[in-house]
Amino acid sequence: MAGIRIDSVTKSYGGLAVLKAFSLDIADGEFVVLVGPSGCGKSTMLKILAGLEEASSGKISIGDRDVTDLAPGDRDIAMVFQNYALYPHLTVARNMGFGLKMRGTDAGEIDRRVNEAAKILGIDHLLERRPRALSGGQRQRVALGRAIVREPQAFLMDEPLSNLDAKLRVHTRAEISALHKRLRVTTIYVTHDQTEAMTMADRIVIMKDGVIQQIAAPDVMFREPANLFVAGFIGSPGMNFLKAKAEAKGGGATAKLFGHDVTLPVANGGALAGKDIVVGLRPEHIAAGPGQVSFTVAPRLIESLGSEQYVYVDLPEEHRREASAGGDDETRRTSLIARLINPEPRPPEETLTLSFDPARLHVFDAASGEAIR
Amino acid sequence: MRRKTTQHALLYAGVVLTCAILVFPIYWLVVTALSEPSQLRQLPPSFWPAEPRWGVFGQIMAERPILLWLGNSALAAIGAVTISMIVSVLAGYSLSRFRVRGGQSLGLFILTAKMLPATLLVIPLFGIFRNLELIGSLWSIILAHATLIIPFTTWMLKGYFDTIPRELEQAAMVDGCSPLGALVRVILPVSAPGLAATALYGFVLSWSDYAYARTFLTNAQGNWTANLGITTMKGEYISNWSDISAASILVALPILAIYLFLERYLVGGLTAGAEK
Ligand SMILES: Nc1ncnc2c1ncn2[C@@H]1O[C@H](COP(=O)(O)OP(=O)(O)OP(=O)(O)O)[C@@H](O)[C@H]1O
Ligand SMILES: [Mg+2]
Repeated sequence: MAGIRIDSVTKSYGGLAVLKAFSLDIADGEFVVLVGPSGCGKSTMLKILAGLEEASSGKISIGDRDVTDLAPGDRDIAMVFQNYALYPHLTVARNMGFGLKMRGTDAGEIDRRVNEAAKILGIDHLLERRPRALSGGQRQRVALGRAIVREPQAFLMDEPLSNLDAKLRVHTRAEISALHKRLRVTTIYVTHDQTEAMTMADRIVIMKDGVIQQIAAPDVMFREPANLFVAGFIGSPGMNFLKAKAEAKGGGATAKLFGHDVTLPVANGGALAGKDIVVGLRPEHIAAGPGQVSFTVAPRLIESLGSEQYVYVDLPEEHRREASAGGDDETRRTSLIARLINPEPRPPEETLTLSFDPARLHVFDAASGEAIR
Repeated sequence: MRRKTTQHALLYAGVVLTCAILVFPIYWLVVTALSEPSQLRQLPPSFWPAEPRWGVFGQIMAERPILLWLGNSALAAIGAVTISMIVSVLAGYSLSRFRVRGGQSLGLFILTAKMLPATLLVIPLFGIFRNLELIGSLWSIILAHATLIIPFTTWMLKGYFDTIPRELEQAAMVDGCSPLGALVRVILPVSAPGLAATALYGFVLSWSDYAYARTFLTNAQGNWTANLGITTMKGEYISNWSDISAASILVALPILAIYLFLERYLVGGLTAGAEK
């Protein structure tokens, strides 16, 4: 086991820059999740780490070895692919033992380690089958097993759960976490599912268009997003964004929200005066009934999940942001979502009083998207 | 319900008709072989000889060195296919996997090579082989057939390799294989159906050649291939079509046997289970 250091790695395909100065230090035994929308370069980064793609520039070390120019097989890492990539012509046992065999491990030792890994994963009864005779979930385990028998310096996993159905995915997610607790092997895990990122990661790396947006522990990421992109990506449903203008008042800053002058939770409010800002408010920080800042609305739609309700409200025109060229979801732009926990059943046509605590607000610079604290 | 039955009936009628068209020449070959030569021209033709000459096969094998011809054909085909497979596996894999500058035009170039008719190359090849002193040697047709087979098989194999997920060899490389090791240990075993189909194709191409054998081997009786040998059974004034048909059947049998043997590989489906 070893830490991994990625030092200003860039990657371009022709003129297309897919990764831009990607730097990341991963501690020994850490579980790091790379997350971001499709096409942001997650798989590319993982392949460069594995040695399957060459970086255009930059340096990669595993432990204290510079592996930048080493072949994949010499890096002592194991990879789990999204489509599992099991060898169809080999039995499960031979699939799992393949990497050890390539390294010249003797047959008895291979047997021992394959059996041990198979027991951990509960696939010891499948060892003589071929991949085509396995279910999706079983194949996924074999792919994991093939990685763990190698006892490598690090695991690289590229969306290993995305081909499983929802229930199995939650189950396997917990299993991978447990496996990591047990083996403590440095793991880099790629996903575009923010729930997977939040539940599994020691640290999350959020990427967009090949650029790291923020590196932080899941809680920190949720409470202190570095910019609008991170704020909108983490959390489900995503954060509500309201366009507003900051005004100076006393030593601090206020903004007019739903007709109230609301004090913004920022350190240096005076500097904000007159600035265009975006105020962020998480759906779960909106409560039913009156509170510190209250407003009355006519819900457009109420979705009930039993234990919680999503209340969709039309956002007043003055709070709507401009439709971006990137095509943010239009309903998301024009509505405010409140997530009410253990709600009273209520008829959708009734007007409703909602409230929030101004200390919970997030403030972003409208021009740059950066968080202001 | 009724519509479905009609559709089925039409479908089967189509299948039966196609089979009949395909099988009839073979059937007629058998009828010709088993008939007395004198009965061949009778009108109306007989659809099965009254007294089939089952002894004809033994008789022509005694009269002509048919086994030697078959052996030469087999040697030539095996040699040509072996060379072709080695070259086209490597070429097809490279075309499928590596983005080389000009790779696309290289691929197209190979494609054009396969559009040239074989007869166009006979004369230049004759010149080359004469310089190499290969005229009369089986090597001449082995190499000549390889030039015919390789363009086809390279494209067939490229197409087959394209269907195999790249992650398979990436997994092998992470597991410690070199690129060539990944090809040999993972990609080739997985490609068995594609390799079988391609090899068979090359074998048939070589086996059915006449033009090259006629040009390069005519003066070396001991190296005659089956197709060349059979044409010598056709006399200048009289031809015993029954004997020629019987010999043709003997020449077709090995191909039939290989088809039956390779059938289970040809069906494919071996990649099932690699993914998801
Ligand atoms: N071989 C290639 N040639 C050209 N462009 C490529 C190549 N491989 C990837 N790209 C581009 O690089 C970008 C990043 O791809 P990558 O596969 O890393 O995305 P990702 O973050 O893994 O997305 P996803 O969540 O969809 O898997 C994409 O825009 C993709 O089109
Ligand atoms: Mg990807």
